[in-house]
Amino acid sequence: MKIKSIHILLAIIIIIGGGILLASQLGLYNTTKAKSPLKTAEGVYDIADIRGSHTLEEIEKYYQVPASSIIESFGLKPDSNPSIFKLKDLGEIYKPVELEGKEYIVETDTVRVFVSLYLKKPYISDETFYLPERTVNYLIENNKLTGEEKDYWLTHTFKLEYLENDSLSASETPEKIEEAVEETIEDKVAEEIEEFKVTGQTIIQELLDSGITEENFEEITGFKVPEDKSILVKDFAADKGIEFKEIKDKFAE
Amino acid sequence: MSKKQKKDLIRLAVQIFFLALIILISFNHFRSEQGLAPLLIGAPSLHAVCPFGGVVTIYTYFTEGTFIQKIHQSSYTLMWLVLALTLLFGPVFCGWVCPFGTVEEFIGKIGKKIFKKNYNHFVPSIIDKPLRYIRYVILILVVVNTAISGKLLFANFDPYFALFNIWSSEVTRLSLLVLGLVLIGSLFVERPWCKYLCPLGALLGIFNLFRIVKLKRNEKTCINCKACDRVCPMNINVSTSKVVSDHQCISCLLCTDEITCPVNNTLNFTVLEKKNSRENSEKDSKGKNKESISGGKK
Repeated sequence: MKIKSIHILLAIIIIIGGGILLASQLGLYNTTKAKSPLKTAEGVYDIADIRGSHTLEEIEKYYQVPASSIIESFGLKPDSNPSIFKLKDLGEIYKPVELEGKEYIVETDTVRVFVSLYLKKPYISDETFYLPERTVNYLIENNKLTGEEKDYWLTHTFKLEYLENDSLSASETPEKIEEAVEETIEDKVAEEIEEFKVTGQTIIQELLDSGITEENFEEITGFKVPEDKSILVKDFAADKGIEFKEIKDKFAE
Repeated sequence: MSKKQKKDLIRLAVQIFFLALIILISFNHFRSEQGLAPLLIGAPSLHAVCPFGGVVTIYTYFTEGTFIQKIHQSSYTLMWLVLALTLLFGPVFCGWVCPFGTVEEFIGKIGKKIFKKNYNHFVPSIIDKPLRYIRYVILILVVVNTAISGKLLFANFDPYFALFNIWSSEVTRLSLLVLGLVLIGSLFVERPWCKYLCPLGALLGIFNLFRIVKLKRNEKTCINCKACDRVCPMNINVSTSKVVSDHQCISCLLCTDEITCPVNNTLNFTVLEKKNSRENSEKDSKGKNKESISGGKK
C-alpha cells in the first residue's frame, strides 16, 4: 500500500489528536502539577516532592510540620504570613554560602532536609549536606535528632547571612536577629501584601488572606467560597462560567 | 502551480497549524501570568506540550515515579504518542509537526532565494557527516545529566523554548545565542538545528532503521535523475538507496513520486510488498515510458 500525504495527515490527527483526547479522558494528560505533593507507597506525602511553590501553610497542611517551626528555625519574622510565604522566597532572603567549593542557596531543598529530620523520615538529598547553625540548634532543642545525627549536623553547619544586611548574621543574638529579620522580612511581607494582585496562579486562599472577605467574594463572583480553597481563582471562574478578567479587576478594587 | 506542488500543501497546512498552536499557547501563558483569561484554548507552559520533556524525565519516572522539575504528565504522554507515530512512519514529528523545524524551514526558503542551487551545500561532506552525530552526544549528555540532577538542564540552551517564550525571564542568554546562531544558520543550511544538534531528532531518527512504513525506491523504474537527492532537506542520497533508512530522514515526503519523483510508483512510502508483480511491472513500464520522455529533457 502506497502511503501519501493525506495518510500522514490522518495518522497525525488520529495518533496525536486522538491520543491527547483519550489521555485527557483517562486523566493522563495534565498540563499542570496538582498543588498537593505526591504520596509515597506508605500513603504519606513524599518529602522529595516539597516544591518551591509550596507555602509554609501547605507544608503544615501536608506534612504536619508547623509553619511556626520553620519560621523560628530559619530565623524568619515571627509574624510571617504562612499562606503567602513560599519556600522559594527563602532564596531571596539569605546570601548564598560557599560550601566545599560550591555555592549553596538556602531554599526548598534545605526545607526538605529540615522536614525530614523534624519528622524523622528518610529523605536523601544530593545537594544539602550542611544546614544553618540556627536550624540545627532548633532541631536539637526540640529533640528531633538522634545522637548520630547530632554528631553529623553539629559539624556541618553554616551561618545564615541576610542579603539586605551584610553586617548581620542570623546566628547572632536573638535580639539582633529579630531586629534584622524585622528589617528584612517585614519589608518583604509588607511588600507582598501591598503588591498583592490576582493573577492566573492565585488560589482562593491567597485571595482571602489578602483581605477579601467571604461576603466580598460572594458579592463579586455570585458564588459562595468553595470548600477547597486551594483551587486557582482562574479555574473557579472558568468552572462557573465567569470572565476571569472581570472578577480580577473587581477584586483589585 | 503543478499538481505535484499542490500536494505538498497538506504538509504546509499541518506545519502552519502546529506553529500557530504553539504561538497561541505561548501567548495564552503570557496572558495567564498577567492575570488575563486565555483565548480559545488553555494556557499550559511550553514545557508541558513538548514531547522531549517526556524523554528527559523518563529515568526519574521509572526510578522514582515522579516527573522532573517543570515537566508535567502531558509531556510524558506526548512522548509516547510521538514515538508511536515515529514507529509507523519515521520522524513525521520533525518534518510535519515541530514548530521550530517549521521556522527553520521558512527561513530556509529565504536562503534558497538568495543562494539558489548553492543553498544547503555549503558544508563540505567530510565535515558534515561527522557533525551529524553530535546530536546523539547531546541526547546522551542531556538525558544522563537530567537523570542525575533532576532538573530541566536542556532549557538553558534550548532555542525552541527561547523562541516561543522570548518574553519570559526564564530564557537564558545562552539559549538566545543558540537561537540566533540557528536562525542565521538556516539561511545557509536547511534545518541546521535538526541536522546537527536536536536531541529529540536524534532519538526519533533511530526509528528510521526499523520504521514500519518504509521509504522505498524501485530500482527498475528509477531514471536516475537525482531529483530526490536535490529536494531532500537533509541531503540524503536517496537515489542510491533501495530502502531509505538514513537516520536523518524526517519523513517529509518531498522526494516521493507524490511530490517530486517524476516516475510513478518509483519512490514512495509503502507498508506492504506488492503482490501482483506482473501487474506492477506493467504499471512500472508504462510509467517509465511516460516519464522517460520528460526525464530525458532534464
